[in-house]
Amino acid sequence: MSEPQTPLLEMRGIVKRFPGTLACDGASLSVRAGEVHCLLGENGAGKSTLMKILAGSYRPDEGEITLAGRPLRCTSPQDGLAAGISVIYQELDLAPDLTVAQNLFLGRAPARGPFVRRRARSAAAAEAIRRVGGTFSPEDRVRDLPIAAQQLTAIAKALTMDARVIVMDEPSATLGERDLEVVFSVIRDLAAEGRAIIYISHRLDEVSHIGDRATVLRDGRDVGVFDLATTSHDELVGAMIGQARELVRRADRPEPTGAPRLSIEHVTVGDILDVSGIDVRPGEIVGLAGLAGAGRTTLLAALFGAVRGEVRARLDGRPLPVAGPRTAVRNGLALVPESRKEQGLFLGLGVARNAAIAAHGLVAPRTRGRKKTAPVLTGLGVKHASPEQPVGQLSGGNQQKVVLAKWITRGMRVLLLDEPTRGLDIGAKADLYRQVRRLADDGVAVLLASSELAELTAHADTVWVLHEGRNVARFDPRTTPEADIAHTVITGAKP
Amino acid sequence: MTQTASRTRLPGAGVLSRQRSLDLLRNGNLLVVFLLLCVVAALLAPEFLTTRNIANLLQQSSLTGIVAIGMTLVILTAGIDLSVGSTAAFAGMLVAVLISDGVHPILAIVASLAAGAAAGAVMGGLSAYLALPAFMTTLAGLTSIRGLTYLLTDGTPAGGDLPEGFQLLGGGFIGHVPIVGLIFIGVTVIAALVLRGTTFGEYVYAVGSNREAARLSGLPVRAVTTAVFAISGLLAALAGVLLTSRLTIGQPTAFSGLELDAIAAVVLGGTNLFGGRGKVFGTFVAVLLLSVLKNLFNLVGLSSFFQMVVTGLILVAALILNRVLENRGDR
Repeated sequence: MSEPQTPLLEMRGIVKRFPGTLACDGASLSVRAGEVHCLLGENGAGKSTLMKILAGSYRPDEGEITLAGRPLRCTSPQDGLAAGISVIYQELDLAPDLTVAQNLFLGRAPARGPFVRRRARSAAAAEAIRRVGGTFSPEDRVRDLPIAAQQLTAIAKALTMDARVIVMDEPSATLGERDLEVVFSVIRDLAAEGRAIIYISHRLDEVSHIGDRATVLRDGRDVGVFDLATTSHDELVGAMIGQARELVRRADRPEPTGAPRLSIEHVTVGDILDVSGIDVRPGEIVGLAGLAGAGRTTLLAALFGAVRGEVRARLDGRPLPVAGPRTAVRNGLALVPESRKEQGLFLGLGVARNAAIAAHGLVAPRTRGRKKTAPVLTGLGVKHASPEQPVGQLSGGNQQKVVLAKWITRGMRVLLLDEPTRGLDIGAKADLYRQVRRLADDGVAVLLASSELAELTAHADTVWVLHEGRNVARFDPRTTPEADIAHTVITGAKP
Repeated sequence: MTQTASRTRLPGAGVLSRQRSLDLLRNGNLLVVFLLLCVVAALLAPEFLTTRNIANLLQQSSLTGIVAIGMTLVILTAGIDLSVGSTAAFAGMLVAVLISDGVHPILAIVASLAAGAAAGAVMGGLSAYLALPAFMTTLAGLTSIRGLTYLLTDGTPAGGDLPEGFQLLGGGFIGHVPIVGLIFIGVTVIAALVLRGTTFGEYVYAVGSNREAARLSGLPVRAVTTAVFAISGLLAALAGVLLTSRLTIGQPTAFSGLELDAIAAVVLGGTNLFGGRGKVFGTFVAVLLLSVLKNLFNLVGLSSFFQMVVTGLILVAALILNRVLENRGDR
């Protein structure tokens, strides 16, 4: 297996810039035919960007890609597919209301003139299903299939397109253990046929189980290629988090004292979240760290009543009623949601209207509303041309401040922040955290979820690590090296 | 920290002033078109500017106008109400039947309006609380309420000898101004004040602009949705009562196709069909514009078949114009 051979796929020195961030900074990846190659890295290490470049969804700013020795230039996902690169995303881009056969040959159905040759399509689909070991019929509707069968359908689709490189983005996130074993055996068969499989996952157990080699990405660069048979988990984790990361300077603050304002006794949401025993005192910022899908967003949404779950919590000692966002707001909870444009703002409405909307009895364009919103907007330093300017025209940082302004105008006891700095540049991030800090100093209890560990260690007083829906460890960021927290984030256990 | 820092260059400032002039153009252009149309009408048909004709025109457009104002509120929340024609006919019949049965006219009017509001609240409530599409709940309303209307009298007109005072409401004049016209203007002004000056008005725009953000901001999204449909039902019922008052008889077949006229006026008036943007003033002007157009056609003797074709073409042209202006505003 580890005979030296020329790689099937090579990506060299890939650079990709987005406004404010450098997603890939000279990343390279080399994958041989017949191997299962794992791609590892923390949140934001550049894994998804690299795979989107491979698929043709993004164009790299620099770098080159060769497939079987020939340069590959994809400008669209169609080009990528035509060249034999197939990416199976976590959310499986299948059309749920169509049948398996229809999905497998979407846009490429065998036809005679304008008529689809249904029988030929069905037969070809059945063959593809057989090759991935599926037991469902090509005429089954995708929606009615269990997740594992849907996953197999996506793989079968890659097969019918004669993919030479198949990228699988965290298939285990949605699969149970037994289903995963089925998918694994299919993956091994495909590799044995001489295809290259790129497997992305956060779970190290799984990676050593299925993978032959692994490339680790960190900060947009590849930091090493490891033979998984001879590499320990600790070595991988070490490569993922790096050793000598600068400690961000923390502002010294007095220890928050007093009784907890928000006491999370026990919160469960289906079988994806089971969290207990987190306290937030007035003036305290409690950080929630975790991988994507670890349950940070779900925990905040459950507390706010935006998703249904079993919530046992206390607010200033009294049981917190959870019946929906309206009740939450009435009790003094405020949520800055993950996606400000879709969930936080009214893009077409003016800045002042946005800032006043949650405060009852305030009508923004009128003087009374103005009097209340103007100082808040000024205090936050929201740069806007006039109170009527539509929020959609502001920069990301200013938009996020308008979301904060909405809650400050109303007044709050607990602030739930979900990934508040996503898409902001460094200056805007610092500015936002300064405002959050000021709110905390005024006695607001803050629960801050972020995938940026450096931000959590710099701004939170306490950091809780969530792992697969459970809160597994609590750290004091002033005395804990960030690497230890990162280790826990990835493995779910303290080093 | 200074107020919106005039020293720093604001990228939004230039955009905004351009946005403002575009807004003015967009809001103003309808008014300009309307005035131009009046000038053309006056030139083509001298009888257009007679008090009698203007009064007639106002009287004819008012009922559609009252309904269109309610429709504006619904569409601002990104909803649609297809049931207004049936609701109006039902209320018109109900008031005639009740008065004929000896119920006091005021009580009969209140009952009819309440019935309209209740019908709207049910359809809106189904859409808000069970997440059914408003298009379907109000389409169901359109058929079943029309059916109820026929059931009231087995399909025959009702009333006939309605009291004089009641007849004044829909057919009376104050000076040269028809009372229904005053009611239309009053409804428009009240709706404009509610939208501009109350929390409820803010919520209407917010729900239409971004439903999910409204929910996560703790707004009573479902109550607001239900309320706008109730208001639409109420105003439709008002139009029905006024028609019965003018005709002195309740017609079960009245107002068929009213929903389309109302929607056309709302959209022509610049309200976004997907919610969040628009003004009742635009609807007001659009209603008058459409009815001047119709009036003009009648005065110059165009056949009603031809009128339908031209009205459709004008609607499309207006939508294209709005889209062009909007795209320029988005840049």
